[in-house]
Amino acid sequence: MEYAVETFSLTKIFPDWWGREKVCAVDDLNLQVRYNEVFGLLGPNGSGKTTTLKLLLNLLYPTNGKALVLGGDSSDPQISARIGFMPEESYLYRYLNARETLDFYGRIFGLPAKVRKTRTEALLDMVGLKAVANRPVGTFSKGMARRIGLAQALINDPDLLILDEPTTGLDPIGTRQIKDLILELAKRGKTVLLCSHLLADVEDVCDRIAILYGGRIQSEGKVRELLQQTHKTQITTASISDTAIEKIKQIVQDENSDCVITSPMDKLETFFIKTVASAREQARPTSGVVSDGTYISDFLTAEHAEKSRRAEILDKLVSASLSPQAPPEPPATEQPTPVETYEPKPDEQLLEKLTRKPEPPKPKPVVKPQPVESEAARQQQNKNSILDQLTDRSTPQSHQTDQPDKSRTGGTSDA
Amino acid sequence: MRSIWAVATNTIRQALRMKVALIFTILLLVLLPVMALSMPGDGTVKGRLQTFVSYGLSLTSLLLCLLTIVVSIYTLTNDIKQKQIFTVLTKPVRRFQLLLGKLLGVILLDVVLLVIFSAIIYTITIYTPKLLNAGEEELISLDNEFFTARASLTPPKIDVTQEVLETYNKLKETNQLLPGSSKADDIYVLTLRKELEKRAVPVGRELIWQFQNVKPLDPNQSLFIRFKYDVSVSPADLNIYSRWVIGDDRQIKYGTEMKTPIYTFDRKDFIRTFHEIEVPADAVAEDDYLAVGFFNPPLNNTVVIFPPDDGLEVLYKADSFTANFIKAALLILLRLIFLACLGILAASFLSFPVAILFCLMIFLTGTISGFVLESFDVMSKGLTGFYYYTIRPIVQLLPQFDKFNPTKFLVPARLLSWLLLAKVAGLMVCVKAIVLLLLALLIFTYREVAKVII
Repeated sequence: MEYAVETFSLTKIFPDWWGREKVCAVDDLNLQVRYNEVFGLLGPNGSGKTTTLKLLLNLLYPTNGKALVLGGDSSDPQISARIGFMPEESYLYRYLNARETLDFYGRIFGLPAKVRKTRTEALLDMVGLKAVANRPVGTFSKGMARRIGLAQALINDPDLLILDEPTTGLDPIGTRQIKDLILELAKRGKTVLLCSHLLADVEDVCDRIAILYGGRIQSEGKVRELLQQTHKTQITTASISDTAIEKIKQIVQDENSDCVITSPMDKLETFFIKTVASAREQARPTSGVVSDGTYISDFLTAEHAEKSRRAEILDKLVSASLSPQAPPEPPATEQPTPVETYEPKPDEQLLEKLTRKPEPPKPKPVVKPQPVESEAARQQQNKNSILDQLTDRSTPQSHQTDQPDKSRTGGTSDA
Repeated sequence: MRSIWAVATNTIRQALRMKVALIFTILLLVLLPVMALSMPGDGTVKGRLQTFVSYGLSLTSLLLCLLTIVVSIYTLTNDIKQKQIFTVLTKPVRRFQLLLGKLLGVILLDVVLLVIFSAIIYTITIYTPKLLNAGEEELISLDNEFFTARASLTPPKIDVTQEVLETYNKLKETNQLLPGSSKADDIYVLTLRKELEKRAVPVGRELIWQFQNVKPLDPNQSLFIRFKYDVSVSPADLNIYSRWVIGDDRQIKYGTEMKTPIYTFDRKDFIRTFHEIEVPADAVAEDDYLAVGFFNPPLNNTVVIFPPDDGLEVLYKADSFTANFIKAALLILLRLIFLACLGILAASFLSFPVAILFCLMIFLTGTISGFVLESFDVMSKGLTGFYYYTIRPIVQLLPQFDKFNPTKFLVPARLLSWLLLAKVAGLMVCVKAIVLLLLALLIFTYREVAKVII
């Protein structure tokens, strides 16, 4: 049980109709993913990333070699109950709505009705689809379907999350959210195996990566070690005076070296999120208007969303007070009380942020960093509370899955 | 188990929301009442009811069969084609659980639809006589001949081989055999002649049939002797005079005390059509024995022959129409279960259109199975070994829908016994359907679902 995922000379050859070997998709692959790490499988199109994942999940059978997932065969229900898988596209039952979809997957795991309900609602909240939970997923846009795909992968609170190209089809905000989520899950001791060819995403979240080409690992290691330029040094400060710059230049010259001094650039992603957030702030007074542009808002007015949100939150609160919630877990140190969890404000903002039309991205003259900061913080808090809810709801099921979890964290520290 | 149930309910949802089931349902909901109104049959109320029940059940059965084939194939092939199966099979579901879940969903859907449509047909059938203001006499005849479930007893076939052999030997000894004919041919001709003798009544003679196990539901009701005459020489007015004696003949023979009445009927009936004599059921002896005697009076001047198989039957009420109707519906359900298993098997390795074609072919063959089996047997007379171990088992695996057609029982108000139902269930579901299902599980377990097959 040293590795969460381990393959031994895994080989997959697709024969043609006559049984002659035609394509060697995965070639003698030895892959090791440790517990509690975010592992990225990189490679150009057709390099065998998805085939590897399918082999791990028993959707394809290897021609040669063996794959161990969580120490066993992934078709064993005991093992697969601890895996979450998001395929490269969200393959959903088009006739089910978002809520039914999650409920269906929850029932496959044999989760009790109450747990299913709380998790479904929490996940819908987290992926921002609560307001459209009753629409058939067949009518969803690609990005929305991706979000449901992610939610279904998390319904069983998996120990190992296998994500195939997790950010394709998502807008920058969605991408950011997924990346934050991956980091957050890693912080909580989960293992994440993702494959992608979007290098920026991998760079941001992965601890270790392997680059595949022709079904073989070409390079493998820690992201930091692979990318660090050991012969260069970078100093980042708040903006300083010209004289100070001159002094630094002098010092560097004394070291017989040369330096370039510029203002650091924002990443486009950060800028995009800032712009959308401030546009949201600006648009507040005209909130009654049906906006379009972003994918969710096509069928949603803010007013409607707010109303249904309030009703649901009330329902939830009522049901929460009626039925005794799960007994408080021992490590419930930072867990917010249920009332705080359903505090409407952050939810509302998260939702509205997703639904609001971003004003044409002309840079606003008054970009106030302050509200953006607090916005992000609140959003983070909100997400954390949902994750708490997901992972700490005590149920017989989660007890079962938690058990090996704890034992193996001990194991990893040994390793 | 919970995952099987989750898959099953999802399958039902799929069938309902993708509107596959809806189309069939609407079609039936429209067609059944229309049929009830537009089919006069032979003009009598009974004829009308017989036509409606016959066509209504056949149509329901046909459409539900098609629905079962389509849904069972669609639900699996669609999951594979649209790859939802990726997210399902990577959850804690074994592959056999997925298949069983799909099967369960299809069968549950069938049960619900079958119950609905049977209830509609039943209700229409029950209320038609009232709507048509049938007369008193017609109602009684309906009760006796349609709204009932009659068991039928045919006289046991008399074994004539011994007699035939004796006759043959005697003829051989006295050298009366035709020169040039083989022994098999002679025996064949002699057998036919002997059998005919057993069914023929010369002028002035009588014939007595003895029945065991006559078990009418209620001694106050009636028995029916159903018969048809053939004659050697047609009488001028095509009528046969007759005397029928019905009851326990042992009382006369052994002169014991009369416990049960013996009834006598003098009749005059058309030849070559079916007639029924109504006899009170108390004629049956305590040990379920009944004798039926036919006397051919000299007036006829011709030999009277009762045709084989249905020349003479004793019919008696053994169950209610309702029970018989329910059993008929169960018979249809067994058929649907078989088809669901067949559909799952086809979908486990074929794509949607090919699987549909495959199943339809089997279904159609099944509806004419009598003909198919017979022709295979005739054609294969020359090729024993090879045929016996290869084609025959496959042919035997074919369903025999025509042999167990429910309307065959409801229209003449024949009893559909639990024994027969159990036999069909055993053969069609417990043996054939299970074999298909196991085959499907085997194929599906070893199939790489993510592999693209072009």
